[in-house]
Amino acid sequence: MENLLKEALDALHKAADKTELQEIYNTYLSKKGKVAGLMAQMKDLIAEEKPKFGAKVNVLKQTLEQAYSEAQERIHQQSILSNLEKDKIDLTLPATKLKVGTLHPLTLVQKEIEEHFIAMGYLVKEGPEVERDYYNFERANIPQDHPARDMQDTFYINMDWLLRTHTTAIQTRTLEEYNGKTPVKVICPGKVYRKDDDDATHSHQFVQIEGLVVGEKISLADLKGTLELLAKRMFGESRVIRFRPSYFQFTEPSVEVDVSCHICNGKGCSTCHQTGWIEILGAGMVHPNVLRMAGFDAEKVSGFAFGLGVERVALLKYGIDDIRHLYTNDLRFLSTFTRFE
Amino acid sequence: MKTSIKWLSHYVDLKGISANEIADRLTLAGLEVEGSTSLAQGTQLVIGEVLTCVAHPDSDHLSKTTVNIGKEVLSIICGAPNVKAGQKVIIAQNGSILPQITIKKTLIKGVESNGMICSLLELGVDPKTLSDTQKEGIEVLGDDAVIGGDPLSYLGLDDVILEIKLTPNRSDCNALWSLAFEVGALFDRKVKLPDYLSFEKIGGPTQLKVASETLKCPLFIGKKIGKLSVKPSPLWMRQALNAVGIKSINNVVDISNYVMIETGQPMHFYDAAKLAALEITVKDNQSGIVKTLDESDIHLHKEDIVITCNGKHIGLAGIMGGDDSKIDENTHGIVIEAAQFAPYQIRHTSRRVNLMTEASLRFQKGLDLNAAHKAVMRSVQLLIELADAKEIESTVIYGTAETEKRIVKVHPQHINDLLGDVYPLEKDIEIFKALGFNPIMEKEMIVCSIPTTRLDIEVAQDLIEEVGRFVGYGNLKGTLPAMAMTQGGYDERQQLRNKIRSLCVGFGMNEIVTYTLVNKDKTVEGVSPLENPLSLISPLSDERQYIRNNLLNSVFETVVYNQSHKIKDFQIFEISTLSHIDLCQERIALVQSGTITINRWQKETREADFYSLKGIIENILSENGYSLGRIRYEAVTDHPFFHPYQSVKVTLDKTVLGIMGRIHPLLAQKLGIDSILMAELNIEPLLKTKAAKIKYNSVVKVPVVLRDLAMVVSEEVSASSIEKVIMESAKSLVKSVEVFDVYTGEHIEKGKKSLALSIAFQAADHTLNEEEIQIHFAKILEALKTQCGALLRS
Repeated sequence: MENLLKEALDALHKAADKTELQEIYNTYLSKKGKVAGLMAQMKDLIAEEKPKFGAKVNVLKQTLEQAYSEAQERIHQQSILSNLEKDKIDLTLPATKLKVGTLHPLTLVQKEIEEHFIAMGYLVKEGPEVERDYYNFERANIPQDHPARDMQDTFYINMDWLLRTHTTAIQTRTLEEYNGKTPVKVICPGKVYRKDDDDATHSHQFVQIEGLVVGEKISLADLKGTLELLAKRMFGESRVIRFRPSYFQFTEPSVEVDVSCHICNGKGCSTCHQTGWIEILGAGMVHPNVLRMAGFDAEKVSGFAFGLGVERVALLKYGIDDIRHLYTNDLRFLSTFTRFE
Repeated sequence: MKTSIKWLSHYVDLKGISANEIADRLTLAGLEVEGSTSLAQGTQLVIGEVLTCVAHPDSDHLSKTTVNIGKEVLSIICGAPNVKAGQKVIIAQNGSILPQITIKKTLIKGVESNGMICSLLELGVDPKTLSDTQKEGIEVLGDDAVIGGDPLSYLGLDDVILEIKLTPNRSDCNALWSLAFEVGALFDRKVKLPDYLSFEKIGGPTQLKVASETLKCPLFIGKKIGKLSVKPSPLWMRQALNAVGIKSINNVVDISNYVMIETGQPMHFYDAAKLAALEITVKDNQSGIVKTLDESDIHLHKEDIVITCNGKHIGLAGIMGGDDSKIDENTHGIVIEAAQFAPYQIRHTSRRVNLMTEASLRFQKGLDLNAAHKAVMRSVQLLIELADAKEIESTVIYGTAETEKRIVKVHPQHINDLLGDVYPLEKDIEIFKALGFNPIMEKEMIVCSIPTTRLDIEVAQDLIEEVGRFVGYGNLKGTLPAMAMTQGGYDERQQLRNKIRSLCVGFGMNEIVTYTLVNKDKTVEGVSPLENPLSLISPLSDERQYIRNNLLNSVFETVVYNQSHKIKDFQIFEISTLSHIDLCQERIALVQSGTITINRWQKETREADFYSLKGIIENILSENGYSLGRIRYEAVTDHPFFHPYQSVKVTLDKTVLGIMGRIHPLLAQKLGIDSILMAELNIEPLLKTKAAKIKYNSVVKVPVVLRDLAMVVSEEVSASSIEKVIMESAKSLVKSVEVFDVYTGEHIEKGKKSLALSIAFQAADHTLNEEEIQIHFAKILEALKTQCGALLRS
């Protein structure tokens, strides 16, 4: 019986494929196999020996069955492994493309700025592009005879209506909506239009984003801190800004804001015309006339406002050499702008 | 504005301050210096005298000269046609750096040359200030030039010109005297103006009468000078005017220009003998012609301001004087005009007639009312000094000059609060004093008396800005607003727009942005164009005359551009607002062109077709909470943009969103493009239509049983009608119906199509048994037979 066990286990270990295994099964474990033969011998034994012999054969049978199923599993796995080579492929063929589109670079820049300010608690306000002369000029403290109101610079539709020339029109509407209530904390993005001939640096249509904060004791220093964060967000952590006094009807005091050049780090290059600075924003403290017209107490509250051109930021940020590329929509151009940076 | 540093230094002591320092300080104080140029450039320049001049042995146009420069005699080869022995000339010595070249010892056609005899062009002098002779040859200096001396100083070219860009509020600095005060205040230097005030009293009786018949001329000052002599101006005046780009004419005309630079006040001098009467009246509402100094005929509009004499037009006010009464070498007496004209009118007229003069540029920016009077006094002073003026008559004035100073107050704390830093009171006072505001303390307020030149100082904030810009913002420390927390974010419209954008990008589409202004043709037809398209009163061109009233027409431009650049396979979209009076309608336009390639070698490419675009639109809607059951399509057969058999009107609930489908082949042909799929949808209804809320329904655990079904039906029978029949005939148990094959052609009768569908059965509460399914399946088959005329295929 021991020989039989050894012989059978040996054979199971050596079995190389399913056929051999079947033969071994037939030889030992089938109904006519050797184990069944052992069982058959039992009837010749005396009664006292039968249980002992029977138990022994059973152990033998279980051991063999166990070994058989192990061998079966081993051969099955071997056959999988040996077939793997048939799955060999050219790993260098092109991938299946999941084509993802792109946002327009103007949208990218606009959204980046919007999200920057939303995170600081600003609302995003929009307004009509076909705007009343009143909100575009009068409420922005630009008087009737001001050159900005000439036909020469503004697209008028009739005496009272025009294509807005700046997103300040959204600010004046927003101030009216708040009607003296503070805090006001908004940014105002939108398309604006001016009567400029299109060339590499001018476009009769462009996107502006203006920001407006009104509350108690809002100061020029607050404006500077706010714009410092924006400059770093848009052009990198090491950017610094500079205020130069300037003039806008909407604000007093007014400043032009220069950002240290992100190309040369302020050393001077062709992008910054060797000055180390790039002019990027106009800003200032909201003129008391503007606040008063919208129902705010200009003695008690103050505010700052700033505005920038999205095209200009896009040109600088991405190194685009001609503003008209932004409106040509060449697919090769558009495909470049895959993400926020 | 061009400013000569040399001229400026006549009024304010600039010793020890370089032109660059002035430029930087002005810029940081809000008077932006855009450029600074030396009148002439060149190192190691010296005055020399040509001793000998003979022809070069091997050249027909070169001369061989010897030149004495004091310390030595140089031999120089010169190519100028006008070089002669005995001339005093400008020599650039070896090592001299000129704008274009560096001079060194050379051999010219075998002869050694040590230096160069220069023309002013070679020294970088503005050609506009040079005569033709000066441009063509070397500069010949006067006999008084000292050999070995500095030629630039001799010529008055040792000057730096600043180009200052004045903001509209600081037009006062168009007057050099005002700028002198600004610079004096910035550098804490004394300002000294010529003593012209005493000339006010000079003047005998006069016959001259001046008047204005228009509100556009509130002030007109006239003065007759009976006798004077016209001759060339002295060198210093010619050089000063030259430096700021004004051509010298004669002493009298030059004085009017010189005083204009000083005071900012443009004037006009008339030849008294050429006036028909001693009477000048300013009028508008005129017609006819004015012949101006530049000999052009200006046709008057009734709003133009005109200077008249005895009913005759003698000048276009504030822009240019008339030709008939101009000063010439025979002039013996003049009438001075110094006036105020409405800035907007000067601007309008000068633009219309396309005449931008030094005068019109100044008038349109607005002038100090006192400037006219100052200018007349200063002119009298100079006319006496330089033109032997005699028989000076009294000044005649129409209107009144505002002489009262404006009072503006500011609280010192207000300065600190608005700027966000601490500015000591003494500093505030010091700055206001330097600016000539005569500050005094009254209770706690600083009270300033504003000079009439500073039209821009009106309210406290204006004074605060003066403090800010004088101290500079360089040390201002940035802070963030200290205020109650606010919640930021996008509103519903912005969120929807962002979501749609993200989806389209996810679908592989590129966003485009096109112009709002279009030509008239693009407003005529389109997808629901807004009615009565708006046009501009004065557009840039016909191409940009209308405000667009639909999107697709603009998007076509992008399609044409890209397809014509051999880019055929693309998907694009634009979201934009259509604008009208009191109306904004946000829309999206979508285009698919060519093939949507996933992987070419795996043959995973497909032509964009009706269904690919339909899929995008359905996804946009369903991802925003509008289930497909709420979307209806209705064939569009008669839109000129769309293929009559491959286009639908898209409706959400009961609101039409727009049209999608294939471009009409005739339109594609007209545009010169390959066929595209396109849609234009209105987004507004989505903002007004309730989207489904996301709600969790417990997952039904009972299995779904699928049954496939193939049938032949007439081509007219739509997939959606078959689906409807199936759903209705076994309502509660059919979970979904999906078409998985459509076939026409071989083995299928003409006019028929074969459809294969998969029907999913599921009950909410139990596993369906075979018998149940059979019963319902049979019902479906029967309904399809009777209602759709379907012939089932086994």
